[in-house]
Amino acid sequence: MPFNRLVRTGLVGGIGVLFVALVGLMAKVADINLIGTQVTGAYTLLALVPFTVGYVAVRPRVVAGQIESFSTARSVRSGAVAGATAGALIAIAVLFTDRYGVDRVREVFIQVDPDLIELLSFGQSATVGAVILIVGGGALGAAGAGFRSLNPSQRRNLGMAVSVTLLMGLLQRIIPIMLVQLGLETDWLYSKVTGGLTWIGAAIVFAATWGASWFWARRGRTAKETIRTMTREQPGTRLVAGVALLALLAAVPWLVGSVISDVLGTVMVFMLLGLGLNIVVGYAGLLDLGYVAFFGFGAYATALLTGATLNTTTGSAAPALSLDLNFYIAIPIVVLLAAGVGVLIGGPVLRLRGDYLAIVTLGLGEIASILLASNWLTPLVGGPQGMRNVTDASIAGFSFRDPQHFFYLALAFVLMAVFLSWRLANSRIGRAWNAMREDEQVADAMGISTTRFKLLAFAMGGAVGSLGGALLAVKIGSLAPSSFEIIVSITALAVVILGGMGSIPGVVVGGLVLIGLPGLLREFEEFRLLIYGGALVSIMVLRPQGLVPNIRRSRELHEEDRSQDKWAGDLSADEQVAAPLTPLGEGSG
Amino acid sequence: MSAFERLPWRRMILVALSVFIATFVIYGSWKTLTLPDGKAYSGAAWRDFVILGIAQGAILALIALGYTLVYGILRMINFAHGEVFMVGAFGSYFFADAYVKSGFMNRHPIAALGILFLTAIITSVGVGILLERVAYRPLRNSPRLVPLITAIGASLFLQNAVRGFFGTNTRGYPKPDILTGSWTIFGLEIARIQVVVFVVSVVAMVALQLFVSRTTTGKSMRAVAEDPEIASLMGIDVDRIVVMTFAIGGVLAGVAGVLFALTFEQVNFFMGFRPGIAAFTAAVLGGIGSIGGAALGGFALGLLQSLGPALLLTGIGVPSPFQLKDVVTFAVLVLVLIFRPGGLLGSGESEKV
Repeated sequence: MPFNRLVRTGLVGGIGVLFVALVGLMAKVADINLIGTQVTGAYTLLALVPFTVGYVAVRPRVVAGQIESFSTARSVRSGAVAGATAGALIAIAVLFTDRYGVDRVREVFIQVDPDLIELLSFGQSATVGAVILIVGGGALGAAGAGFRSLNPSQRRNLGMAVSVTLLMGLLQRIIPIMLVQLGLETDWLYSKVTGGLTWIGAAIVFAATWGASWFWARRGRTAKETIRTMTREQPGTRLVAGVALLALLAAVPWLVGSVISDVLGTVMVFMLLGLGLNIVVGYAGLLDLGYVAFFGFGAYATALLTGATLNTTTGSAAPALSLDLNFYIAIPIVVLLAAGVGVLIGGPVLRLRGDYLAIVTLGLGEIASILLASNWLTPLVGGPQGMRNVTDASIAGFSFRDPQHFFYLALAFVLMAVFLSWRLANSRIGRAWNAMREDEQVADAMGISTTRFKLLAFAMGGAVGSLGGALLAVKIGSLAPSSFEIIVSITALAVVILGGMGSIPGVVVGGLVLIGLPGLLREFEEFRLLIYGGALVSIMVLRPQGLVPNIRRSRELHEEDRSQDKWAGDLSADEQVAAPLTPLGEGSG
Repeated sequence: MSAFERLPWRRMILVALSVFIATFVIYGSWKTLTLPDGKAYSGAAWRDFVILGIAQGAILALIALGYTLVYGILRMINFAHGEVFMVGAFGSYFFADAYVKSGFMNRHPIAALGILFLTAIITSVGVGILLERVAYRPLRNSPRLVPLITAIGASLFLQNAVRGFFGTNTRGYPKPDILTGSWTIFGLEIARIQVVVFVVSVVAMVALQLFVSRTTTGKSMRAVAEDPEIASLMGIDVDRIVVMTFAIGGVLAGVAGVLFALTFEQVNFFMGFRPGIAAFTAAVLGGIGSIGGAALGGFALGLLQSLGPALLLTGIGVPSPFQLKDVVTFAVLVLVLIFRPGGLLGSGESEKV
């Protein structure tokens, strides 16, 4: 390994840790006990970085058409160098802060405080802490490099077991609730004192995951094959599976309790947004950055059609224009109107090229959110104060405002949108969108009216997005313009991108990860936007097809790779299986 | 033209839209200008709007140049450029704060301002180059929307990183005493800070124009903008030129950051977003890819932003018209792209594919 590269990898890792510390995330996770009192969030983070640095530093690279190969001892030494470099950078920062004065550093970086320094020097003096950081970094880097030299199945088993155990520790406020709801004992698994896993619980989870991973590797393929033939040969099985899945979904709100149901409700509102945007971005390939306009339209139109009151500084007032319809009569009207708005917005701008279209829609979305908050439209939508008392969507006295009830309403909407997306994807329209996305001019030449299909995409996407808005209105019963800002568009985009453009399961995963996790793990709440931004960049750079890719979309994004020689392609495919989040294909460039 | 023949209704919509806008502009201005005395703006108020518009336009023009340069070379919208501007302002804030506390700012105001500009430039250039290296270079040959999505992500990331580092509070940005008060120029009383903003911006723009037209690097930049592949065959290191472009964009953004902070006397993590989009609008308005266009577009948009709401909306009875300042910005953006995608100085034809 060239020494320069090891040091560079190490420095990148060290900068990563410093970034996490300075931005305040390190202090936030310091008090989460994952396992016992010893494995805290901060120390896990601190340990994972040099480990990853070691692992990445010794990744196989192609030099002059051949994979460099080194002995295990040599790559472990290299990993140690990289890890120690990362540790050394952190150590230097700690020593500097200690000498220069915590308070003076704090005048610039507000997150730096004595607690952070104590954390990073392990409760010792700064000098001893620095030594620990360097030596520990080296050891962990060596471990990371050693992990690379395990054979792939061992690597997967171990990696799975460790990550599932840590995840279980992280989800300490969710899993125990579910277990209690099921009437199970949780004391053996989670400690009441520390909050996290007990050591015994951790060991059991670790062993169980290892075993499951081992079993799946040996038997998984056959099991999957059996299930597949079963569903193919006996159509009845598919029905049974579907019903079972629905029953499981129906049980979710009672399984997870009110708080988590509430988060899941928000997740599903954003899933609707994601599904709608997926039609526009994923299917038709039009980047719409003003999607919040539809969300806001759906919410405010629902409120006005079903009846709501304006918030004013003195009390409340009736909106300048409102009806008193039933929610279920209002919904089709809202959806149709939103589709009409989609056509109106789309009409004049559709001949613009992709990135200009994106910016124009961004501008239109911003206009919508500024207007919602302006004094000018206050008599209609309440302006900065917003609205409240949005009529409930109850059916025969069954109110949906309760989070556990709302879940069903949202689920019904999401299932409808999923069904619509799924049927659209495989329809004539969906194929036209595919053709248009891959090459607009060729599609045009093939007789596809691109304008018509673009408008259709805007209308469909707008309609689904407005459903999300309508749901939000009845979920919380009040509306404020601050919920309808540009960030909603970007969040919806992140949901689509994380899962993979054009992929329906991708939207579901994206919603659960990006909306659900920060909603459940309160520590991460204030870093939500930072994480979205980071996710958008890293997904696009490392894995543009997303986590749960749509096969066709993924091929489009990797056309370049396919034309390279097959052998280099194989290498990156192998990397992908082993570590989906390490930089891929550097050697295949 | 074939598109228009196939879709006559599109032309009809556009004609209807332009008639509507023209009517709105004429009616709104007429109503505002014929407001009874006491409700109407005085002559002095209009003069202040114009001066403010020019000063803001100068800042917008500086940021717009960053968009235009990158677009010219890479044909990509560097959406995170507004954040490059923001970090520049933040980078210099800490020095400004320290200098005011130590008294250096008012003892040697010129030197202090020089250091403020320098630190802002260094921060902005650093972030700009880092952005290119991490977020854009790996995607140089991807479909066009991919780097745009990354840019949006990077923008969000930078905003929230700064928020995490330095907090959510808006911080007061001090300015030296010599910049308070006003000068009388040609019989007009103009705030000193606005004069400085205008002069510094114009100097920076002229310097950029000279750099691009006279130096070897400038020549290489033009060559890469023309055709990167041929340029690389001619022995130009395209990567180096791209980094150079981001660096120059960063220099201008840093200067703009200090000017903006001195004008509004505050910095916060969100300050880059709206000015960033406004500057992009300015670049598009003038004709993206052209340096003169960005300058022209900046001043034009600055004037539109400060005059537009007052002129068009006051008369028809819209309360607090300046809330809708950015609506004017975005409306201009949308209308320019619909009617004249090449911008004021461009060909008027939308670029194909």
